[in-house]
Amino acid sequence: MESQRCKGARDLLPEDMQRFRQVEDTFRNSCINWGYREIKTPTLEYIHLFTASGTLTPAMLGRVYSFLDWDGWGGERVVLRPDGTIPAARLYSENLAGQKIARLYYITNVFAFEETGKENREKWQCGVELLGDCDRTSDAELISLALEVLKSLGIAKAELKLSHAGILKALIGELKLSAATRDALLDEILEGNWQALTGINNSNKAVAGAISTLMNLKGKSSGFLANLKALPSISLNVKKEIGRFAAITELLDTLGCRYAIDFTSIRGFEYYTGLCFKVIANGKKICSGGRYDNLVSLVGGADIPACGFAFYLDETCAMVKPWSRQKAEKTVLIKTAKKSAPFIATAFQIAGALRQAGLIAELDFCGSQLEARWSVTVLDRAQAFIVKDMAKGTQNKVTTVNEVIGIMGGFGKIGK
Amino acid sequence: MPKGKLLARTSEFLTATGLGFDDYNSKTRIYRMQSQTLPALTAKMLNERDIPVQVAIGNYDFGICTSDWLQELQARYPASRVLKIADLSYDLSSIYLACSEASNISPQDISGRPAAWRIVTEYPALAEATACKMRLKRFRIFPCWGSTEAYPPENADLCVLRVRDEKALRSLNLKPLSKICDSNACIIANSDSIQDNDFSSLLKRFALSQKMKDKPWQVPEKALAAISNDFIARAPADNIWLALADGHQQIHTAAFLEKTGIKLVGYAKDNMQRRPSSSLAGVNIKVIRPQDMPQQVANGNFDLAVTGKDWLLDHLYQFPSSPVTELADLGFGRVRIVAVVSEEVPADSIDSIRELISRGKMAPLRIATEYVNIADKYLRDRHIARYRVIPTWGATEVYLPEDADMLIENTETGQTLARHKLKIIDTLFESTACLIGNRRSLELPFKKAKIERLVKIFREAAGKK
Repeated sequence: MESQRCKGARDLLPEDMQRFRQVEDTFRNSCINWGYREIKTPTLEYIHLFTASGTLTPAMLGRVYSFLDWDGWGGERVVLRPDGTIPAARLYSENLAGQKIARLYYITNVFAFEETGKENREKWQCGVELLGDCDRTSDAELISLALEVLKSLGIAKAELKLSHAGILKALIGELKLSAATRDALLDEILEGNWQALTGINNSNKAVAGAISTLMNLKGKSSGFLANLKALPSISLNVKKEIGRFAAITELLDTLGCRYAIDFTSIRGFEYYTGLCFKVIANGKKICSGGRYDNLVSLVGGADIPACGFAFYLDETCAMVKPWSRQKAEKTVLIKTAKKSAPFIATAFQIAGALRQAGLIAELDFCGSQLEARWSVTVLDRAQAFIVKDMAKGTQNKVTTVNEVIGIMGGFGKIGK
Repeated sequence: MPKGKLLARTSEFLTATGLGFDDYNSKTRIYRMQSQTLPALTAKMLNERDIPVQVAIGNYDFGICTSDWLQELQARYPASRVLKIADLSYDLSSIYLACSEASNISPQDISGRPAAWRIVTEYPALAEATACKMRLKRFRIFPCWGSTEAYPPENADLCVLRVRDEKALRSLNLKPLSKICDSNACIIANSDSIQDNDFSSLLKRFALSQKMKDKPWQVPEKALAAISNDFIARAPADNIWLALADGHQQIHTAAFLEKTGIKLVGYAKDNMQRRPSSSLAGVNIKVIRPQDMPQQVANGNFDLAVTGKDWLLDHLYQFPSSPVTELADLGFGRVRIVAVVSEEVPADSIDSIRELISRGKMAPLRIATEYVNIADKYLRDRHIARYRVIPTWGATEVYLPEDADMLIENTETGQTLARHKLKIIDTLFESTACLIGNRRSLELPFKKAKIERLVKIFREAAGKK
C-alpha cells in the first residue's frame, strides 16, 4: 500500500511512545526536583520573532515552515515553531518578567524542513531555560542538571564538550571585517565550516595565529584556558572572554565534572553569548545549550541574562534501554461467557474494581492486545467468575470480586 | 520557449541553431511547434516566468528563460530538479533591493532599525532570502504582478526589482541598497532528464550557435520608454489614495473615468505616469497592476481601487478576514470565470469529472490557473479527492492537455478556448470591474467624506448608459 503519510513525517508507535515517555518522565522528574516549572508555547508564532537579528541564522530561516495565515493579508508570515528557546524567551518577557529568577522547562515539537525527507521534519525537544539574574553558578547548574538526566536515563558513555561564543565573537571582531564580509563569515561558521576562518585574507598575523591556535588545541581543564590566556598572540578583548570561560570551568573542576574544551564544537551559535556546551553519545549530539544574555531583549523584553539547554528526544530515545515493557504480571483480560448486556455490565464492574486495586484490566470481548498473566471470565449474570493464572496454568472458580483480587494479591506483586 | 519580450532575440538565437522552429516569431499565434530538423523535438511557448517551474517538475526537458526566475524558484525550493546549462548573454540585467530616491534610507538602516519594512516585489523568495541574509529584524513582503517601481516611497519602504543596470534604476527614481544578483537569458534543463537521456544532437546545436562569431541576439537592445515614475511630494496625510490599472485594463478604466467627469492628466496610452494628476481635490492617484490591488487596499496603502471582481474574490478566498469590500459595480470589463478541459475529456460537468476520478478512470487533477485561491476553493467545495493547483502567469490555454488537466480561466467570448480545442464545463461566476475599498478607512472621520463622495461619483457613472 502506498503510504499516505507526509514526506518527512513520522508515526510514533506504542513501542516508540514507551521510550518517549520514559525520557520525558525522567527529564520532567529531574526538572521538578531542581525547582523548574513547566510551560507550553503555541505551535504558531510570527516569523519576526525569529528574524529579529541574531536569533536564527539565514540558513535556518531558509528551512522554516512559514506561510500566510488566513488573516495574513498584512503580509506578515507565521511559522511552525522552529526552535524552543526563542518562544520561551518571548513567553518570559510577556508574562514573567517581574520574577527575579524564572526556572522553566518544556517538552515541545519543533519543525524544520529537510530536503531528502529521510529525516524527521518534526522533532521533539526537552528543554530548560534559566532566566533572570544569573551568573556562572547558573551555567554550572544547567550542566549538572543535564548530567543528572543523562545518568538517570542510563546513558553511560556520554561526552561533555565546552566552547565559548564570547571568545569566538571577540576573535571575529579582531579581524576588523566589513559588515557584509563578517556576516558571510559568520554564516559559514554557523553552518560548521570552521575552515572559513583561516581562509579570511588577513594582514594581521597575530590574529590569524591566535585563531589557528584556538581551533587546533583541545583541553580538558581550566589550566588549558590559563595557558591560552598567557599566550602572547591573544589580544586583551579575547583574554577577557577567556577569563569568563575559565571562571566557569574552574567551578566545574571543583564540582568534579569532566569535560573537553573544543572551540569548534558548536554550531548555530547565533544567539549564544557565553558558554556553549553539548553532550555527545554514540557519536550523536543528544543535548546542547549555553548562555544567551541578549536573547530576551532581542525578542522585545528587558536586558536580562539567560541560559538553557535542550535534550533531543529523537536521538535520546534511541539510546535508552526500555524499562520493563508492559507489565504482564499486573495485567488481566476480562472475558464473558455470553455477550448479553447483563454479562457485559458485570464485566465492566469487575474490570473497574480490578483497576481500583491497581491492576491493568483489558476488556477481551472481541480480542485483546496486551500480554497478560491473568484472565477473568464472567460465567453467569450473577457473580460467578473463573480466574485463570496463565503463568502457573491454574484456574479457580470464585463468586466475589474480593476473592478475585485475593487470588491475584496472593502472589504479593499487586498494588500501586 | 518564452513568449513576450524575450521572444525576438530567442527566435534569432534558435534560427542560428538551425533547429527549424520557423513558426517561432513575434507574429505567431501558434503555441505548439515542431522542429524541422530533429523530428523528436517539439516545443511550446509559455510565459517566461513559468518556464523554470515547468522544467523543474519534469513537463519539459529544456527551457529558455531569464535566470532571475530560475533563481527565484531555487530560493523558494532549493531542491528543485532544474539546472542552468548555458548562458545566452542577452537580456542582461540585475536584481536590486532599492528604495525611493526621495526616502532617506541607507543599507545600515535596514538591518539596524526595528521598523517593519514593507517590501514590494515580483520576487518574493529572493526578497525573503535577502531580508534574512541582511538580518532585517522585521519585514512584510507584498508579492506583486508588476509595476514594482510605482510603490516606493508612499506605499512601500523597499522594493526588489529587475532593471537593466543602476542607471536604469536611477531613471525610475530609485536608489540601490544592495545588488542581489545578475540575470540573463539562459538554457535550463531538468536535472533528472539530462542524467537519463541522450540529448547530444540537440546540445551540439546549442553549442554550435554559441561558437558563432556573429551573435545578433547578443547586440544590446534599445531601452523601451518606461512609464514616468516621478515622485511628487504632495500627499497631505488626510488625502485618500486611489489605485488605477495599467496594462490592458487601462483603456477601459480611462473610458469609464471619462464618464465620471473626472479629468486626468497622465493616464492615457501616449502619456502614462505612475502618479497621474486629477481634477479631484484631496485624492492621490497611482497606477499599478489590478491583481495587486486587493492586498494593497487591505493594508491601507490605498483606500480605493478599480480592479476586477475576479481579483477581489481571489484575495478574499485567501484571506477571509480581509477588510476589503466592493463599493460599486462598474459594469465594464465583463468576463466569465470558467472551468475548462480538453475537448477529448469524456466529461461535460465537474460532477462527471469527480465521477471519473473516483472510479480511477482519470488521474488526480492538475489545474493550471492564474487564480490560485479561486481554483483551490472551487475544487475543495466540489469534493475533488486529490488535486494540484499549478500557478501560472498567463497563456494558460497552452497547458492543456499535456501539462495540466483543467484550467480555471477568464473568457469573454470563449473563442480563444475553442481555437485551442478546449471546452467549458462550468461557469464559476461573472466578473466585472468594481470599485473596492477598505472598511477601516471608511471608519476614519477625515477620510469618510472623501471616500463617500468618490463612491457616489463612480456609482452614478456606472448607472449611465
